[in-house]
Amino acid sequence: QTTGLVGLAVAENPHERLRILYTKILGVLQNIPKDAAYRKYTEQIVNERFDLVKKETDVQKLQDKLNCGQIEEVIVQAENELSLARKMVQWKPWEPLVEEPPSDQWRWPI
Amino acid sequence: FLSTAGAAPAAARARLAGSSAADTRPTVRPKNEVEQKQLCAFGEYVAEILPKYIQQVQVTCFNELELLIHPDGIIPVLTFLRDHTNAQFKSLADLTAVDVPSRQYRFEIVYNLLSLRFNSRIRVKTYTDELTPVDSAVPVHKAANWYEREVWDMYGVFFANHPDLRRILTDYGFEGHPFRKDFPLSGYVEVRYDDEVKRVVAEPVELAQEFRKFDLNSPWETFPAYRPAPEPLKIEAGAKKEDAK
Repeated sequence: QTTGLVGLAVAENPHERLRILYTKILGVLQNIPKDAAYRKYTEQIVNERFDLVKKETDVQKLQDKLNCGQIEEVIVQAENELSLARKMVQWKPWEPLVEEPPSDQWRWPI
Repeated sequence: FLSTAGAAPAAARARLAGSSAADTRPTVRPKNEVEQKQLCAFGEYVAEILPKYIQQVQVTCFNELELLIHPDGIIPVLTFLRDHTNAQFKSLADLTAVDVPSRQYRFEIVYNLLSLRFNSRIRVKTYTDELTPVDSAVPVHKAANWYEREVWDMYGVFFANHPDLRRILTDYGFEGHPFRKDFPLSGYVEVRYDDEVKRVVAEPVELAQEFRKFDLNSPWETFPAYRPAPEPLKIEAGAKKEDAK
């Protein structure tokens, strides 16, 4: 068995790994205010994928339903989303604009 | 003057009447409305998630999405675009700068990203002036290393937290930043030749012919269809009438 991708080993028990990652992401998202768009959309994505992972036990069919590449790639995507969520809690990007640009900054042609 | 004023509405009428013909001409790229709508929707999605840094979002007529960012938000926005599941822009295709000397923040840093999962591109633009440093994108994309060295060498934009910011294309003792608009085409010290000193020396540049600058602006308006909207007239408060006793 092989993923066909360099550097990505075949994951044994991907359902367990995905379950752990998705619960961790949802836990980190609780630290964000409820009305932030990031929390809303990320919870939507994570809950959709989590439901699919819980319902489907066959790895091949799960890959087809998720339609996002191999299961190992889905695990990598979840890990990235987790690290992003942790950084978002510090950056707080849902606040209003930091500073308006000068009025001629984005005008084109000059 | 009268003829151009009369020709303009006639040409506009011809454009409106012949719009169906314009769509089928083989030399005109057909408009891809579906992709335009998808890019607009994605641009609104990102702007909703990151309102702290995104100042403007635009989609060009060639279906290119551009995010215009405050310089504090480079690392958050690039990390979001790389890590978020709906926007896996893993590849930094290009990092350049644009010099517009008439603006207050004259340099515009441009990042071009590519998503391999969703086969789509996005452009992120920031601004800075000559002395303000900008956060380096190297912690997010390793590919930014040499691109940022090139922008430093050619424009003089300093990148904070860059692992190794030094000159990459100019000569070792070169002074100046060549891609700036106020740097002359032939440079200042370019004439180099072997001397009695038996080595290469740098001397102030001597041109065989004096530099000829052609004024290429046409006397007529270049884009009559893209005139800026006239500013609305403001009503100012006049002097108050004194009460008649």
